Amino acid sequence: MRLVVRGLMAGAMLTALTLSICLHAQDFKVGSKTVQVHGFGTQGFIHTNDNNWLTMNTSNIGSGAFTDAGLNMGMQINSKLRIGGQVYSRKLGALGDWHPQLDWALADYKVKPWLGFRGGKVKTILGLYTDTQDMDFANTFALLPQSVYPIDLRDAMIAHVGGDIYGKQKLPHKLGSIAYDAYGGRRSDSMSSGYPTELKSAIAAYLTFYGGPVYGGDLRWNTPVKNLKLGMSRQNEQISAAGTYQGAPYAERSRHDWTNQYYGQYSANRWHAESEYRRYYRDQIASSNTPGAFDVIQDIRGWYVGGGYTVNKWFEAGSYFSHYRDTFGGTLVHVIPPYKDAATKNVDKVVTAKFTLNRFTTVKVEGHFMDGAPNEFYPAGFYAAENPKGFADNTNALVVRAGFSF
Amino acid sequence: MKKYLFALFIGLGSLLLAAQAHAQVIVIANPGVKTSEVSKNDLKDVFTGSSTSLGGGSVVPILLKAGAAHEAFLQAYIGKNDTAYRAGWRSLVFSGQASMPKSLDSDAAVVEFVAHNAGAIGYISKATPHEGVKVLAVH
Repeated sequence: MRLVVRGLMAGAMLTALTLSICLHAQDFKVGSKTVQVHGFGTQGFIHTNDNNWLTMNTSNIGSGAFTDAGLNMGMQINSKLRIGGQVYSRKLGALGDWHPQLDWALADYKVKPWLGFRGGKVKTILGLYTDTQDMDFANTFALLPQSVYPIDLRDAMIAHVGGDIYGKQKLPHKLGSIAYDAYGGRRSDSMSSGYPTELKSAIAAYLTFYGGPVYGGDLRWNTPVKNLKLGMSRQNEQISAAGTYQGAPYAERSRHDWTNQYYGQYSANRWHAESEYRRYYRDQIASSNTPGAFDVIQDIRGWYVGGGYTVNKWFEAGSYFSHYRDTFGGTLVHVIPPYKDAATKNVDKVVTAKFTLNRFTTVKVEGHFMDGAPNEFYPAGFYAAENPKGFADNTNALVVRAGFSF
Repeated sequence: MKKYLFALFIGLGSLLLAAQAHAQVIVIANPGVKTSEVSKNDLKDVFTGSSTSLGGGSVVPILLKAGAAHEAFLQAYIGKNDTAYRAGWRSLVFSGQASMPKSLDSDAAVVEFVAHNAGAIGYISKATPHEGVKVLAVH
């Protein structure tokens, strides 16, 4: 096992170094305007002592089916108008399957510092990291706290097709500044994302569409205390699903679907610390197109406290404590036997070492010590298809992730 | 007592280093930029992509690729090392919130670019000749 891990780490570092040497940001001209080209990619490896995690077969020697990449082009048309787009592709166990997605593509018109508009497919701002969760190079951790940023459900909140109004305004009396973003549009999940994959494996329901209107906003206060940021986000959704179940049409729709998120972040010298709380309330009618329609309610509450210390320009150490709890309700709560405690929660204690090899390349080694393997009606990292013999209560995981960006 | 003396020594040392960094680098702007002074917070906002205006006008940050003036600027006004600083910009680029600022090879190239491009703002070593640009006072 040690040899495998060492080999993988060496391979990952070598690959990342080679790529970073070969790849540099490229610019080219269209008329008199410069088009910037940037990209990023990561390769990860996960080994668990028990339970297969994140749709990978992690519990034997481990799995390296943990890869993603993005390619980005952008052009500043004038001082107020900017256009750009990004393609993203990933393979995470049974998820992603290398289907390239249009990650975002937008026009951004900034009228004033306090008023700007973005339209197209726009990354959704929800808490500290929803819009930047793929940017492994910028984060301390190989996996962000899964209670708030579940990587298997990345598609659910990553972007919307629609528009944003945003801006930033200084406050009087040296009270800092306020940044806001309000948006409306539609979300459309990949069919190789977490929820469609879970429905397929758990009840053999095959979705062809999952998404719908979303709207919400984010308000963050850069406080008068230097480097202290506080904020809150809200998102409302009206989700519908379409597909087939046992050869007949299958549908789902939202009754109430909303997310509240509160967060704070502080940095001083070489330290940074952050904490977030997210509550996702999901009340949906399953089989909504049939007389047997039933109500499924999930009240998911996740929070974490974490931080990091930059020892020198090569090395950063980090840790977080993440807590996830799913309370199940709705019509079925009276029919099915209650889930045991470990099937509704995940408490994850994490330590990380992040190595910055150069301006373009990072390697992270991370340990997860998890209590609970949530596997109710909504996915949370642990899938029945990869764990046919059931779930152990505790899981320890080693995560190694190498990334480059240019 | 020894602990307090050590903390005091470290604190004074940090202040001295920061003061030295301030002394080594100056902030320059195109003569058309509407202000002649800038606060440290506003400067940090402009150079981290949080803001694109100064004194009511649009500004565009210009970076140095590397070197003593670049390191001194990051230490004095941004509080991050070069890798973390550029990672912050890449996060904005990859999430569709900004374009990467232009990075130039030398102080002279920064002076040349800032002098001839409306709204440009950059930083150079104090010893570099800087005709055709104005120096912003940072407070």
